[in-house]
This record gives sequence, structure tokens and C-alpha cells, in this order.
Amino acid sequence: MTTPRDSRGITRRTFLSTAAAGLSAGAALWPHPTTAQKGRVVFATWGGSWEEAMRKAWFQPFTQKTGIEVVTVSGPDYGKVRAMVKAGQTEWDIVECNPDFQWIGPREGLLERLDFKVIDRTPIVPDPKLVTEYSVPQVFWARVMVYNTKQFSKENHPRSWQDVWDLNRFPGKRALYSKTNGGSLEIALLADGVPPDKLYPLDVNRALKSLDRIKSQVIWYDTNQQITQYMVGGQFAVGIAPDGRALAAIGQSAPIAIEYNQSILTWSAFVVPKGAPNREGAMSLLAYVLTPQAQAAIAMAFPYGPVVAKAYDSIPPERAAILAGGPQQAGRYILADERWWAENLNEVTEKFTAWRIA
Amino acid sequence: MLLFLYPLATLVLTSVYGDGGWTLQHYRRLFTVPAYLKVLRNTIQTAGLVTLICLALGYPLAYRLTTSSGVLRGVLVIAVLMPFWTSLLVRAYGWMVILHPNGLLNTVALWTGVVREPLELVHNTTGVLIGMSQIMLPYMVLPIAAVMQSVDPRLLQAASSLGAPPWRRFVSVYAPLTLPGVLAGCLLVFIISLGFFVIPALLGGTRDILLAQLIDFNMSKVLNWGFAAALSTVLLVTTLAIYAVAGRMLRIQTLWGSFR
Repeated sequence: MTTPRDSRGITRRTFLSTAAAGLSAGAALWPHPTTAQKGRVVFATWGGSWEEAMRKAWFQPFTQKTGIEVVTVSGPDYGKVRAMVKAGQTEWDIVECNPDFQWIGPREGLLERLDFKVIDRTPIVPDPKLVTEYSVPQVFWARVMVYNTKQFSKENHPRSWQDVWDLNRFPGKRALYSKTNGGSLEIALLADGVPPDKLYPLDVNRALKSLDRIKSQVIWYDTNQQITQYMVGGQFAVGIAPDGRALAAIGQSAPIAIEYNQSILTWSAFVVPKGAPNREGAMSLLAYVLTPQAQAAIAMAFPYGPVVAKAYDSIPPERAAILAGGPQQAGRYILADERWWAENLNEVTEKFTAWRIA
Repeated sequence: MLLFLYPLATLVLTSVYGDGGWTLQHYRRLFTVPAYLKVLRNTIQTAGLVTLICLALGYPLAYRLTTSSGVLRGVLVIAVLMPFWTSLLVRAYGWMVILHPNGLLNTVALWTGVVREPLELVHNTTGVLIGMSQIMLPYMVLPIAAVMQSVDPRLLQAASSLGAPPWRRFVSVYAPLTLPGVLAGCLLVFIISLGFFVIPALLGGTRDILLAQLIDFNMSKVLNWGFAAALSTVLLVTTLAIYAVAGRMLRIQTLWGSFR
């Protein structure tokens, strides 16, 4: 907790500060939150192998550099953030979240403004939606088309969402994500002939009508574990899946392949909840993870795309070719309008639910 | 008691108080948007079906459990209690593996020629009912078995000696005596089923959305706690109403019991 200083003889000041440090060290033995949190950042994460990757690529080097320990807790639920903040008992310093929370969070008064004197946002891929006053992007990932290799060949497989909607040419089950903002509405519109640059604001009614055409063949997945299981078991003909999960499934020799055309690029974000106990520590960790080295390190440890373009300088091309936002996707992806989603998720979900149970 | 009532009061309050004033907007939305009423109906229907399935399977099972002895009894007790010790998620995935079109059950059924086309057993309401019934079965079996255990076998012997055929013995003696257990089991299964969440999400299809899933979405995804509280209140009121009705039936039952 205290950094070692070179001895210059004991002055009154050092004596006092040493004594104070001793006292606070004594106090730290008691489970007292304010003293205990001084040298650590509490990071709410999705956990699993992703957390392992972050620990190696980010947390360990960060702790080595700054002496600030990174403590993880799992389940970065928006509801939990709200409950903590409203109760005035924020325990988390950094929360990783889906980008809709960049806008939902501030609207509900749940987030701290980030300190861009500490965090350098200039190297981040320029897009107006990627950075807000309350958030920075973490990594890119994509929802990609995956098809069953037992059923379709490399030469003859669905290459566009229009193909996926063609049940005669490419028969079989379609695996779609049951969450409203899980890409189904976007691909339904693309399948219906809406040009990618005219996608947002989504014409929800048209999307649902388009989904009607394949409704009987859809199997919905509710969690990422579920789609992984479907992929490994070869339980569908074609579907949409997070690229990281698809690559992991292929690694487990799942009978699937990825088609990068018309993939939907999105990102995960970092936010700092209001009243975070170690705000400064949070800012310095965020500054660290957005350096090109840290972004390259995470891209090597986990197949997610760096949000800092310069990171690609130190990533070998064969690795770059599987990262979201990498060369294989260039010109073939659509960046999800997460701001539109944050503003419309409630209403659209109501319509989507009504459609599902109609 | 206070620890129990305070959160409940807060819940109800959250559903009617928001944006600095009293409001019924959440309830208006709930009762005017047809989707929500359909989800509510879906929820009650699913819970009802699960209760019936559990009763149909659980009653004979409980009977077998109370009348058997030795190894068979041990095996049955473990079979009934086993689901209690396994994680819900594990069981849901287990069912997926079994029920899937290329899964265990369909493979065997196709191989033996029982069916020509694989049966659609998962990602639809069938899947939800199978998964939920398996989980809820112990809640049905245990209260029924407890009551069956206390039935005096001499009453049945008396009925036989008075010339009652087996069906008559069951209808006029055994069934009424075990009815309190049946009602308790049904109540337990139904009420717990109303709040189900994981199974419909994993084994269900397009249409299988239950109330608990909507509550979770509003709680943790769009942070619409007022609406989530309104949905929860409706679920709570439904549960209490059913409980009140069932409670009355149970009391009538005990009255009968004392007359006999």
C-alpha cells in the first residue's frame, strides 16, 4: 500500500506519515472498506476465460506498473449498478458492459464522467458513438453468420442474410439470439433488401414481417453458452453467433464455419459507476488498457478486436484475420447503432415480445 | 415478519410511485398492451399444465414409494430426490441432449422405427413442460407420500371386508384421505412454476416467454423497475389469490376428514 522510499533519515514528517501508515495498516486488518479499497480497483466482469485473458493481458502488467491491485467480481448487471448507486453504496470501480449502457446509465444518473486528462481517447478508432463522456470502448466483437459444414460446403453456403432467409435453397434450422438487440432484427431487414447504410433507425414492423418468413425454422438461444452448445452439437443449419464463441467452438472441432459478409460489428464498453470508491485508480486502469500495447496484448490473449488501430502494428497477420474489425471483415460489416438501441430497446422489445407470442 | 413485509411493500410502492408522483402507468401498460396479458396467461397455463403432469406422474410414484420397501424404496427415494441435488442449468442442458432432433431419444425412436421423422421435443412448449415437470416432480411426490404414509391401512382392509371392489376402495377411501397431500403438492408445484425462468429460456421456443423473463428484462436490461415491480405485483397477487382459494379447499377437506 505504501511505496518504499529511500531512507534520508527520519524527519518529523516521515515519522508522522510512517506512523499513520502503520496505523492504517493496522486498520486494514479490520474489514474497513475505505482503507481496504485504497490500493485496489474493483472490476465487475463477465468472468470465465475472458476474465483469465484480461488478468494476463491487462491486470497483471497494470499492477506491476502501478502497484494497484485489480479485484474482480462477476456479474456486471445493470440492475446491480443501479441498486448500489441508489443505495449510496457503490462497491465497483469499473464495470464492463454492453454499449447500450453508455446511454442508459447516464440517463438514470448512474455513471461518473470519465477523466480524459488521464485517459487518452485520441488513438481510439474514430467513430462518434464509440466514446462518450461516460464510457470508453473495451474491445470490438462481431455477430457473424455461422453455417453447418456437414450441410453446406465452402463453395455452396449462405453468403448473405438473403440467402439465410431462402429456406428452399438452404433448408434447416436457423439459430437466432432471443434478445431484441441480438442482431435478429438487423439481419431480418438486410434479408428483406434494406441497404446496410439505411438500416437505422430500424423499421421494426418490416423486420418482424421478414422474420415471419422463417419463424417456423428458428431456434432461439438465450445465452452464449447455449449457442456454443448448438455449434458444437451441429444443431442448426445456419445462424448468427458472437465471433469469439464461434471461433472457440471451431477450436472444439464444431462442424461450423464463419461467413464474415454482412457481420454486425459492435463493442463492449467500460463505465465507472457513480460514487466508485477508487475513481482515480479506475481512470488509470482505463488509460492503461487503451494503450496500443495493452490492446494488442488482449487481442493476442482472446480473439476480440482492438479498438485502437495502432495495436495492429504488433499483431501478426494470421491473428489479425480472426479479430473483429480486422482485414477479413473490412468493408463487409455493419457497425451496430447502439445509441439507437439504448433509446429504443424498451419499445422495440415490447413489439418483439408481442410478435414472439402472437 | 417485518423483514418479509418491508421488501414487499417497497415492491408494490415501486410499481405505483415514480418520477416524483403516484402513477398507474405501469399497470395501464400491463393491461392495455396485449402481449403482456398473453405472457401472463402463458405463465398460468404453463404452470397449470406442469402441475397436472406432475400429479399424473407423482401420485402413482408416491404410492409406490410408500408401499415399497427395501432396495426398491431406496432407489425410488434417490430417484425422486436426485433432481434436488443437481443444478438447474445442468438439467436443462441434459434435456437438450436427450430431446434434440439428433438427440438420444430421437435416435433410439428412429432406429427402432417407432417414428419416421424426428419428434420436435425441444425449443417449444413440449420442451418447457418436460423440463419443468422433471424439476417440479419432487415437490409433488413428497407431500403426497407424507400423507399416504399416514393413511391407516386398516381402513382399506375394512373397506375390502365390507365388499368394496378395488376401484371403490380407491375412490371412496384412499383418494379422499390422500387429497390434502395432493392439494398441497399441486399448490406447491403451481406456485413455484409461476416464477420459472431458466427452463423456458433454454428449452422453450419462440412463444415460450413467461412472466419471470419479462421481470428480469425490465429489472436488469432496461432498468424499468417500475414496470418490473408492476409485473411482480401481478404475479404476487395471482399467487395469493390461488393460495386463498386452495386454502379454503383444504379446510373443506379437513372438515370432510373429521366427519368420516
